[in-house]
Amino acid sequence: MRLPRTKGRVRWGGWLLLIAEIAGFLLCWPYLRKLPTLGTVQAQRIWDPVARKNVWNDYDNSFLILLFGVVGLLLLGMALFQLWRLLRPGRIHPSVRGLERWLGPDFHRTLLFLPVLGVVVVMIIPLITMILIAFTNYDRNHLVPTNLFTWVGLDNFRLLTDLTASSAFAHAFPRVLGWTLVWAVTATLSCYIGGILMAMLINHRRTVCKPFWRTCFMIAMAVPQFVSLLLVRNLFADVGIINTLCKQWGVTDWLYSIGAIPTANVIPFLTHPTWARPMILLINFWVGVPYQMLIATGILLNIPHELTEAARIDGANSWQVFRSITMPYLLHITGPSLVSGMVTNINNFNVIWLLSRDVYVTTDQLMAQAGATEVDLLVTWLYRLTQDQSNYKMASVIGILVFAVCSLLTLVAFGRLTGRGREEAFH
Amino acid sequence: MKRFWALILCLITLSGCRANTVEEHASTPLRVWVGDNADVAWMEQVVRDFSAANPDRNYDIQIGVQNEGDVAKVILADVESAADVFTFADDQMNSLLIGGALMPIVEGAEAVRNANTPESVEAATGPDGQLYAYPATADNGYFMFYNSAYITPGDASTLESLLDRAAENGRKVAFPMSNAWYLYSFFRGAGLEMRLSADGVTNLCTWNAADTPITGVQVLSSLLEIAAHPGFVEADSDAFVAGLKDGSIVAGVSGTWNASVAAQVWGDSYAAAKLPTYRVDGQNVQMASFSGFKLVGVNAYSDHAGDAMDLAAFMTAYEAQVDRFTMRRQGPSNVAALAAPEVQSEPAIAAIVAQAPYADVQRVGSKYWDAAAALGKIIVNGNPGGTDLQTLLDNCVAGITAPADQ
Repeated sequence: MRLPRTKGRVRWGGWLLLIAEIAGFLLCWPYLRKLPTLGTVQAQRIWDPVARKNVWNDYDNSFLILLFGVVGLLLLGMALFQLWRLLRPGRIHPSVRGLERWLGPDFHRTLLFLPVLGVVVVMIIPLITMILIAFTNYDRNHLVPTNLFTWVGLDNFRLLTDLTASSAFAHAFPRVLGWTLVWAVTATLSCYIGGILMAMLINHRRTVCKPFWRTCFMIAMAVPQFVSLLLVRNLFADVGIINTLCKQWGVTDWLYSIGAIPTANVIPFLTHPTWARPMILLINFWVGVPYQMLIATGILLNIPHELTEAARIDGANSWQVFRSITMPYLLHITGPSLVSGMVTNINNFNVIWLLSRDVYVTTDQLMAQAGATEVDLLVTWLYRLTQDQSNYKMASVIGILVFAVCSLLTLVAFGRLTGRGREEAFH
Repeated sequence: MKRFWALILCLITLSGCRANTVEEHASTPLRVWVGDNADVAWMEQVVRDFSAANPDRNYDIQIGVQNEGDVAKVILADVESAADVFTFADDQMNSLLIGGALMPIVEGAEAVRNANTPESVEAATGPDGQLYAYPATADNGYFMFYNSAYITPGDASTLESLLDRAAENGRKVAFPMSNAWYLYSFFRGAGLEMRLSADGVTNLCTWNAADTPITGVQVLSSLLEIAAHPGFVEADSDAFVAGLKDGSIVAGVSGTWNASVAAQVWGDSYAAAKLPTYRVDGQNVQMASFSGFKLVGVNAYSDHAGDAMDLAAFMTAYEAQVDRFTMRRQGPSNVAALAAPEVQSEPAIAAIVAQAPYADVQRVGSKYWDAAAALGKIIVNGNPGGTDLQTLLDNCVAGITAPADQ
């Protein structure tokens, strides 16, 4: 059979791709067909006493329908696009024909094929599927394959935003979001400023044994973060060594007498909202400063000496040098990393989770109902919802909102920090 | 996703696969999950005995470890590839039933019912009256530990005398107040109800009712007094063990999992008893509790459900439960195994048996835990906001009885 020609040139590759896409689409069709309902056939089991096995009906699996429905739609879209490309009067390399082209002038596309396929399979398809779950009722009462789940439109978002209803989620969401932002800003800035001050202290000309001090902090950084965090968590636990010492030295009783702690037994470092939040920030400061210090050290050593010397000759004191030269220089170089640090902190699962897991019990009754606590970030709340409560639909909603917050923050901050004009300041 | 990868793998190894899959498999593969690494040695022995008892069958049994306390979420995440047989704590039963992971015991259910204690059978029975699991142990509830060097058996019978005695000695009585599982004991003891409703998903709760003989407000004000007592300390399992070791705790409520530590630290003065009474509305009421059982379930999606049932039945039969007690000191649910003198002489098991008349089988929907824990934490903190007690209970009950889809 002769393959179709366009303008006299063979387009083997294009048509083969189209056929592959249509074949894939047809494979997904049994799932795609059920996408509007996400399945209607409930799983049923009949015991076969002779074979001593369960006989199952041909039941629908809502999750597979959703997943392969997405794959099928993607393939359909790609096939239509391919068809349009093939039928449109197009430009083709005049000298190379058919498949040879993929080894010649289009070799970059051949090389990119696998990475792109990988991105589509492991990122784009799961991402679209997870986003779509926000519009379904996929939770612990609708777990596949025994139960089916279905589309519910925007109901889950309403649960989160409808402040008039007595929805626990509507109560918890602004509080968790607020703490997430406070945490991200405070944690990022405290580590950043602490790191710079520490670096300047160590770099100060009157500091002796600079390498020694630097190594000390390097060692703190070399210990994996989760090890340090679990260690600190044990130190500050209700039965930890700090509590024991405070009790012996009378600190606990003194704090109780001034009404700073609810019971005379322990200082609730990580178990009481007014104590836990500052403690977590403090511990994060301790864990995060060495890293920022190293970065700042590198940059401080790079500040052109002429600038500071010229300033001193002009009669500037150290504060003026810091304010007008060191800090702007540092900010310029580390601005983008400050923004990414902020976004990382919004999603800083480790610190919050390792310090509050199994220890922190909320006293906010509505938050408890939504499965959140005062120290939860959006991301740890999301984890709690999926892992402890199998509440995938709300987790998906929160995931979408976390993405929105992060992207908004990044866009605004990057726009400001790396805007035109500033780029030129030091060149 | 799995099917997708399976499809790709199949395509790649198509020629090789075709030859193998048609072959008749000689052995029956079974996967079994036990709750703890320390259970593996016991399970290996059960597997050896099981194979010896079925010489005509060729089993290929693989043992894995999954914590019994949260095995349900592991199973429900992908029930089609979970183990054929698994051990779980009875608080997981409801989730597993909703997720459809449990195979009803369609063979030999009557024998299981007859061999085990009625409470353990009740815990293994679904709302439809069918048996969904095999009872394996009956010691997973909580009771009172005390150090008889400070506390006499008479003192141990009421919470008030326990607290006074501890305070006189500068020591503490430990209770995990902000843990919903334990908090239940005060409210249930006062005759208030909290249980799964008929739909199998949401809870019924009378903690905030005004027309019960003892009201929730009265219970709550008693609890606030107890929590403020100088002899009281809130302690979870870790804190309890730490307090045992440093001598600050002389009595406390916990379970068999801490019995060996208590016995070791307190030595001859280690004693265990049923929970004490506590004072509410001018009367002494007996603290109730949740009984706790470990159950063995069969995966409804297992390809070898019949063989899996045989193995589960064998794992929970008299001999296996006796071995389990001998090797792991876990109290049997099998009536005959429980009656053995060496089992009865174990203080922890004797305490559980004494508590049994006041213990309820745990039938609780998922919304109970966080809501009740928050109330417990408020009690421990002494109700710092000064919120009206009825309001606290109303909020708590609203959380406990909330529809499970929120």
